[in-house]
Amino acid sequence: MSEVSSHRGALLSEKTLENIHHCNKCGLCLAACPVYREVLLESLSPRGKVQLSRKLLEGDLEITPRMREILSQCLLCGSCVSACPSGVQGDKLFSGLRWRAIQRFGIEWKKKILFQLLAHRWLMGGSTRVARWARSAMGKSLGEGMRLGALPLSRLPDFNPEPFSKEVPEVTQAKGEVRARVLYFHGCATNYIFGEVGRAVVDVLSEMGVEVITPKRQGCCGIPIFLSGAREDSLGCIEEVLEEFVREGVDAVIVDCATCGSAFVKEYPHILEELRELGEKVDEDLVEKARILASKTRDVMAFIGDHMSWLPDMSPQGPRLRVTYHDPCHLLKGQGVGILPRKVLAGLPNVEFVEMDAPDACCGGGGSFQVEHPEISSKITARKIKSIEATGACVVATGCPGCRITINAHLDSEKHIRVLHPIELVKMALEGGSS
Amino acid sequence: MLSQKVSEELREIVGEEDYLSGPEDLMAYSYDAYLPDALPDAVVFPTSTEEVSSVMKVAYREEIPVTPRGAGTNIVGGTLPLRGGIVLCLTKMNRILEVNPEDRYAVVEPGVVNGDLQKEAAKYGLFYPPDPASLNVSTIGGNVAENAGGPRGVKYGVTRDYLLGLTVVLADGRVIHTGGKTTKNVTGYDLTGLFCGSEGTLGIVTSITVKLIAKPEAQKSIQAIFETLDGAGKAVSRIMASGIVPVALELMDSTVMKLIEESHRIGLPIDAEGLLLIQVDGSKDSVERETQRVAQFCRENGAKEIRVSREATDEEILWFARRTAFGVMARARPNCIVEDVTVPVSKLPAMVREITELAARHRVTVGVLAHAGDGNMHPLILFDKRDREEMERVEKFTEDLFSKAVELGGTLSGEHGIGLAKERFLNMVMTPETREVLRQIKKSLDPKGILNPGKFV
Repeated sequence: MSEVSSHRGALLSEKTLENIHHCNKCGLCLAACPVYREVLLESLSPRGKVQLSRKLLEGDLEITPRMREILSQCLLCGSCVSACPSGVQGDKLFSGLRWRAIQRFGIEWKKKILFQLLAHRWLMGGSTRVARWARSAMGKSLGEGMRLGALPLSRLPDFNPEPFSKEVPEVTQAKGEVRARVLYFHGCATNYIFGEVGRAVVDVLSEMGVEVITPKRQGCCGIPIFLSGAREDSLGCIEEVLEEFVREGVDAVIVDCATCGSAFVKEYPHILEELRELGEKVDEDLVEKARILASKTRDVMAFIGDHMSWLPDMSPQGPRLRVTYHDPCHLLKGQGVGILPRKVLAGLPNVEFVEMDAPDACCGGGGSFQVEHPEISSKITARKIKSIEATGACVVATGCPGCRITINAHLDSEKHIRVLHPIELVKMALEGGSS
Repeated sequence: MLSQKVSEELREIVGEEDYLSGPEDLMAYSYDAYLPDALPDAVVFPTSTEEVSSVMKVAYREEIPVTPRGAGTNIVGGTLPLRGGIVLCLTKMNRILEVNPEDRYAVVEPGVVNGDLQKEAAKYGLFYPPDPASLNVSTIGGNVAENAGGPRGVKYGVTRDYLLGLTVVLADGRVIHTGGKTTKNVTGYDLTGLFCGSEGTLGIVTSITVKLIAKPEAQKSIQAIFETLDGAGKAVSRIMASGIVPVALELMDSTVMKLIEESHRIGLPIDAEGLLLIQVDGSKDSVERETQRVAQFCRENGAKEIRVSREATDEEILWFARRTAFGVMARARPNCIVEDVTVPVSKLPAMVREITELAARHRVTVGVLAHAGDGNMHPLILFDKRDREEMERVEKFTEDLFSKAVELGGTLSGEHGIGLAKERFLNMVMTPETREVLRQIKKSLDPKGILNPGKFV
């Protein structure tokens, strides 16, 4: 696919522009926006950004450095979209304009470091050697106690000794009666960092009578790159995913990462349609594939929740773990999945489920947001940590590697609270334990 | 443009971080929830009464317009800086200074969000009733300036009914205190009542003492669907005449019901003309009794479907249609204005019929939501402001709407205020003599006319 020319014609598609005119400026989004709640500045509120975007698109404002700064101060959590009575899609608008701002000014340097340190190595470095080298390089050049924005480097998780994709068989047979056949997209986080999540997905599903196909050829969903504004870079990833994951004869495409899931469910069709409308060559066939993938994709916890009766009997053993649940924005607001993971967790014999205050409030990570805007980010995260600690839980379950890293980096290590993917708790229950 | 000297002085007062003058930031303070916009020259965020006073002294000396602002959710253009100058934004003065459960009051700064005060009061088993639809965003300062109401107004009244005392910075920077901490207080003129609803034209409120009340033990909701609007109207009159004082008594017309049904499929009949949603509260026994009676009144007046909530979750289901109404309407077209005409309760059905007729005559899409218990109606007018011809029809509709409301003994606004939006209709409800008194009051408190100029006075 050729590169999109920077300033040819409109900044964004007609559809996106029309959507802005639906903003009644009622301000209800202000209450929903985690960034506004901390800074109390209209210019950084969703309503403010929508109005400024309108001025920008009507030619009354330019993409100035301040404008780029304003656009960057958004977690792209989608809270404003859920709160908007008029259906304004703030997240799509802001990520679209970020893309234009990057074309104009390039990526901010701190974000560049993040992409080099993390993205490149997690997302594109296909071998463990690269990963190990990355960690040692980071350690040597930056030293102990260094922070990347709000993230202390020492609190970043270890890489898998071997990428998950190397250890997982291409086909994992169902145990007993075959009830369904699914494709499993494990994404980069599971591949390079949280291998145990991938093992849990495959084990639990096969216990439920599901045949799991994990295609060997799978890379990045492209969304972290896309959300940071670098749209064209993410296109290659999208094409690859569509080629591999739109197949006949499968019941669902399973994801364990909230962000990958919302990419498949929500972002892909939008990105492709938008680029096509802007004059880029995007085949209808590709858009159609994106629509099929969107309809087939199911978060692993939602899938289990849909088919609770397929779970084998689990007998309680040992003490129950007090578990609370954090709603990842890209799962709840991005895919509308919130009730099912709770239903599954509450039904586990090894779990005592407690709800935290404001479980759907953003953790403040927002991918590169915590690197670019550490002050705002830490304040938002501090609220989340407070809600978690107030529950007295020893495990926070959350189905997003981004939230997991952010929350884990800010938890008080003395309090011994672990962050796990809920699927890991299901696996523990199946194994009859609570460790 | 402010002079270099003035802008330096202002920066000195509020601090570098709390002074904005870049084009992007100014643009973000050029609008509220009404249609037009107007650019200020600077935005300041004072964090204390002293800072507000110092800003006002400079503005007074230099005769610079000052427009106070909270969250900017008002829908009448009340916070638009029509003559430029300074937007004085109070969102950073957002501390709850005191909650006193013994004497049942709270002291808050103007930037405190209404919903946050409600949550804080609830921790003490207390209750702050005013509940504008914007309560999770709008500030108490803004609520005071607009004398905001809400669905609970039928039983509990509006913001003014909960004000005990205020600290106000006057146009020249002097600081005064009105009222006190007691419910009964007749020492001198009721200045608290004067500043409430003055829309930032008389002074800047920097501290507010509000009355809190005990939280009722129980509540229940009743939803009743009527084939005819008359039936719904009669049921409202019957309930209000029965001695029962409902917390809320909300009415929805067929336009709104149809749109809700089209987008949510919750089983609202599309051939019904009106829906009533009634909430009662009090002790468990009385709530039970009143619920039965209200249901009976609805049945007697031809309700064909009645649902009563049993638990809190049912309550949510019954209120779903009402809560989702604005969104459903707003999505239907690019723009949506919420009008606020208010008529005596007995005239409500007549007014709804007038609205329907006027909408047809001017070919404008209008749905009606109403706080029927106090005659306060919110016709939702849908349009695309880019379509000039349509805008003209909307204008004509609005004019006729106000005439009709006044004809039926009503008024222009129940709880949204006048601001910029209804200034030209004021003569319909006020004689020249009355308006002159407003001007005299304004002049004595703000002789240079720098506070929120260009608004209704």
